[in-house]
Amino acid sequence: MSTMTENRRRSTTEIEESTSAWRKRLTSDGAARVAALLSFFVLWLVVSAVFGRVPGPVEVVVRLVEEFARGEVFGNFASTLYRFGVGVALATVVGIAVGVMMGLSQLSRAFFESPVLVGLSIPAIIWSFLTVMWFGFGNLSPIVTTFLTAVPFVIINVAQGVRGVSRDLRDMSSTYNVPLGRRVKDLVLPAVTGYVATGVRFAMIIGWNGVLLSEWFGGSGGVGYRSRFWYDANRYGGFAAWTVLFVGFIVLLDRFVLDRMIRRAFRWRDNAA
Amino acid sequence: MTNQLLEGNAGEVALTRDAGEADARRSARRRQWRQTAFLVAGWIAMILVWELGSWWFGDRILPRPHQVLVEMGEVIRSGNFVPDFTASVLKTFAGFGVAVAVGAPVGYLMGRHRYWQAFFHDGVTVAGTIPAIVYAVLSLIIFGLSNMGPILAVALVSAPYVALNVAEGIRGVDRSLITMSEAFGRTPRQIRREVLIPTIVPFVFAAIRMCFAVAWKVEALTEVFGGRNGVGFQIRTEYQLYDIAGVLAWMFLFIGFMLVIERLVLAKAEARQLAWRPEERSAAL
Repeated sequence: MSTMTENRRRSTTEIEESTSAWRKRLTSDGAARVAALLSFFVLWLVVSAVFGRVPGPVEVVVRLVEEFARGEVFGNFASTLYRFGVGVALATVVGIAVGVMMGLSQLSRAFFESPVLVGLSIPAIIWSFLTVMWFGFGNLSPIVTTFLTAVPFVIINVAQGVRGVSRDLRDMSSTYNVPLGRRVKDLVLPAVTGYVATGVRFAMIIGWNGVLLSEWFGGSGGVGYRSRFWYDANRYGGFAAWTVLFVGFIVLLDRFVLDRMIRRAFRWRDNAA
Repeated sequence: MTNQLLEGNAGEVALTRDAGEADARRSARRRQWRQTAFLVAGWIAMILVWELGSWWFGDRILPRPHQVLVEMGEVIRSGNFVPDFTASVLKTFAGFGVAVAVGAPVGYLMGRHRYWQAFFHDGVTVAGTIPAIVYAVLSLIIFGLSNMGPILAVALVSAPYVALNVAEGIRGVDRSLITMSEAFGRTPRQIRREVLIPTIVPFVFAAIRMCFAVAWKVEALTEVFGGRNGVGFQIRTEYQLYDIAGVLAWMFLFIGFMLVIERLVLAKAEARQLAWRPEERSAAL
């Protein structure tokens, strides 16, 4: 609390008693959140007033309603989600396999290290250019772009998690000749679930970028395609409407699905601490 | 290193200590050698996959590695990469400047006061999950075709990371140092200058290094969408001419250049800023 530093000669209870009820309510967390939302709204209004090209909230809502009325929303959203889902699922499976290998043996680590680093540094835009050239305007190019941009992040996270598995337990299981299958199932996997979840979350943030980019350049329907349609038509309100729509979706997904998953996966660790 | 020695030839029994040590050293060297071999094998496999791809798709839409290499040589020889590279790098760093100028105070407030923590927390986390393409197009809508677009995009992408990291750093400040400063009658301003700000410097650097890889990609992306110079602009030009070798050549040159900058400039600046306490540096990374 800011009052602490200003009046540090008084005790905390004195300060507590001297602050009035309305002031307490005004500085509560909930009030802060409401204030943040309000200031964001005011900022948006100011920016759209200063820069004529930026659409204001009213225009965005109108465009959003229009887009729903045209029936463009659900079809495009579904095709984007399908591509994104397949790409991220593939990235997760391959990423876990390679990541576990990299974490378990030094040699496979040496082998995969450079490809993963190169993969990390290639921008999504290049992948989307290339995949559109390779696979044309279909579902395949967004799927492959999502996969290729997301997989290095999963690999790195999983490998880090596997390397963090308790050395003692690993030594013990090799001393007692525990078979590799059981070692992976009972020791490695439980320990890395949290890292996998973090990696998948990161991969999803990156993957959205990939799927949207290749839809933007690919032109076979989807959120990216529709956004580009409005952008090219110089009707930025339509673009902003789509942005609001899928950013809202991403945030809800992140907040209510992934965050819970991660907390569940790290439960064994955080409870102990 | 130690576990490599331990893991060495477990089967052989060393009779004397010297023999055992020589044995361990030999197996460690063999291990080192094998690792290098696998590293090289990784590179070879990568190039093989690339070759296979260009055979499958045809080298017009996936040029072979040596074609890209030749193209890179041409770009370097023609010398017109210098203005574009400097433009891109300057824009990236300008964006970082803006991001630190905005993100560090926000992070400071978030770390110090509960109210501001609640105020900014949702916004900062949401801003961190928005895909980069949104920022790129948004900056173009705001500024049109100008150098301000990429700068704004870099700033928008990096500011949340900076804010979160600084907030983390402020929360990790040694409470007893602050209590001591207060006990000796230091003013809040002195505490800020002498205790808080030095503590968050490593976290700012860590944030910059963390988002540098993201930032230059966003910078190039914004230039692809609408730039008048810079690497992204060149990539778009080559793409519109369907010269994929040119696209890849520019990209690899830019990746290499950015890796060099990251290693040399950022790491050096960080080392100089933090030379007085090396242990903090490794802790923040």
